[in-house]
Amino acid sequence: MTISWLQACVLGLLACLCSNSCMAGQAVGNYTIGRPLVGGLICGLILGNVPLGIACGVATQLVYIALVTPGGTVAADVRAISYIGIPLAMVAISSRGLNPFSSDAANMAKSLGTLVGTIGSVLFYAVAFLNLVWQAFGWKDIEKNKLNRLYGVNFGWPWLSHLCFSFLPTVLMTHYGAQAVTALRNALPMDGIPMKTLFTVGAMLPCVGIAILLRQIVNTSIDFIPFLVGFTLAASLHLNLVSVTVVSLLFAMIFYEIEMFGAKNGGNGGNAATAAASSSDDDDDEEEDI
Amino acid sequence: MAENQKKISKNTLNKSFNLWFWGALTCFSQEHMQTFGYLSSMLPIIKELYPDKKDQQEKIHAYTAFFNTNPMLGSVIIGTTASMEEARANGKGIDGETINDMRAGLMGPIAGIGDSLIDGTLIPILLGLALGMSQNGSPVGAIFYIIVWDLIAYFGQRFLYFRGYRLGDKAVSILVGKQGKAIRHAISIVGGMVVGGVLATWVNVTTSLQLKDSTGKVFLNLQKQLDSIYPGLLTVIVTVLCWWLMAKKHVSAIWTMIILIFVALLGVLVGFFNPGLKY
Repeated sequence: MTISWLQACVLGLLACLCSNSCMAGQAVGNYTIGRPLVGGLICGLILGNVPLGIACGVATQLVYIALVTPGGTVAADVRAISYIGIPLAMVAISSRGLNPFSSDAANMAKSLGTLVGTIGSVLFYAVAFLNLVWQAFGWKDIEKNKLNRLYGVNFGWPWLSHLCFSFLPTVLMTHYGAQAVTALRNALPMDGIPMKTLFTVGAMLPCVGIAILLRQIVNTSIDFIPFLVGFTLAASLHLNLVSVTVVSLLFAMIFYEIEMFGAKNGGNGGNAATAAASSSDDDDDEEEDI
Repeated sequence: MAENQKKISKNTLNKSFNLWFWGALTCFSQEHMQTFGYLSSMLPIIKELYPDKKDQQEKIHAYTAFFNTNPMLGSVIIGTTASMEEARANGKGIDGETINDMRAGLMGPIAGIGDSLIDGTLIPILLGLALGMSQNGSPVGAIFYIIVWDLIAYFGQRFLYFRGYRLGDKAVSILVGKQGKAIRHAISIVGGMVVGGVLATWVNVTTSLQLKDSTGKVFLNLQKQLDSIYPGLLTVIVTVLCWWLMAKKHVSAIWTMIILIFVALLGVLVGFFNPGLKY
């Protein structure tokens, strides 16, 4: 499998649309086109092997299932994961003749995707840096009272940043990287120490993604308990994710009631009505989400 | 002037919302983050409320201050400032500083709630479901995620924007007041349990360590022993290790990954890990 210039250019355009600070809006760009699962589908369509693309997307998505970017700090960049890492993983898997649905193929995709994604976070900072130039234009426009130009600052100029730091790197890395990955196949045999390490790391990498998320919700060791209960429900009782969510809603309800009870007894009875209203709102939301 | 109340038209509000939905972070920099997304989304409103060019320039200055929050939940803040801007245009004793204080006070809490609610809970659940559907290479899961997430994101943000506009700063009290704290706590329970479920369902760290006696019979299969203590024990240990490194030792995510590479290399060398690769 190789990646032609045309295919590489399409991947490059998608990279512009989906990176953090993307050109297609956060919800559609970063949170849809950028997610590795969706990226896997799109890369599969572009490279002409949808099942392989999806398999790589599923594997890589696991690492980034909980990609949180608090305060604009990124540990990995979705444009690089989804539109450089996944295409290269697809080439690597097919050149090694692995079964796309085997755990070997999945671990290969995870390692490659994560490696490229981590390096790709440089691209994020590069785009943000170049955007400072357009923002300087914006401040001038406000000073000169040419407010309409602000639309250009927000929606036009940043394309140039992405041309330099999303489009070009993606085109070059996918086109030439595909050849390099195929060449590596002969250099590194599957039963050697480097490949074994690569695949072992691939199996462990999702733990980092989950841990990043845990950092948000766990402050003291007691906060681990809901997490462990969820883990136990799935690992020992083999409940699926929807079932775990339903069980967790019960606990959430109990905690909410307890906390509101405490708040009310603290002399804040006036909030009761809005609280009840907002809690029912919240339940509705939760059901829609499922 | 009371008979001459200014009102933002529905059309302008729609335009402002769409500018935020599509452009909250397009011109992102570390220094100003979402400031320009905010400016361009407020611009149609400023233009409608203040026909005079000099006024426009003066009023837009309220939105030049630094802004950054969760872009999904943040649309409630834009809606709220839209209603405050309307009040300011009608001379209701609101000035740029009031608007700015409100924005600055809300962006932190909203970012925290949004990150744990959207990125930490909703998206892992949706992706977890979608992954299950796509396990055998079928595109169904990806398509499911695309449709469900984008519908929730668009209409959810729209709902928040217009709720913010209608209720003004009351809209956000639900999110940051006492109920807000209770809701956040409750959601963090859901988030924690779902993340645990995702980990158990999708991640599986196993050891291949086996000890054999002189006749070649296996007398210790470590993975089986560990499973009889607590299924998935190694997976939990590795995850807690990563959490400990990042949360308690302030190691960055990238260094944590590098440490994992060394752990894996060491494990492979001593035979603790063996993915059992072959062509």
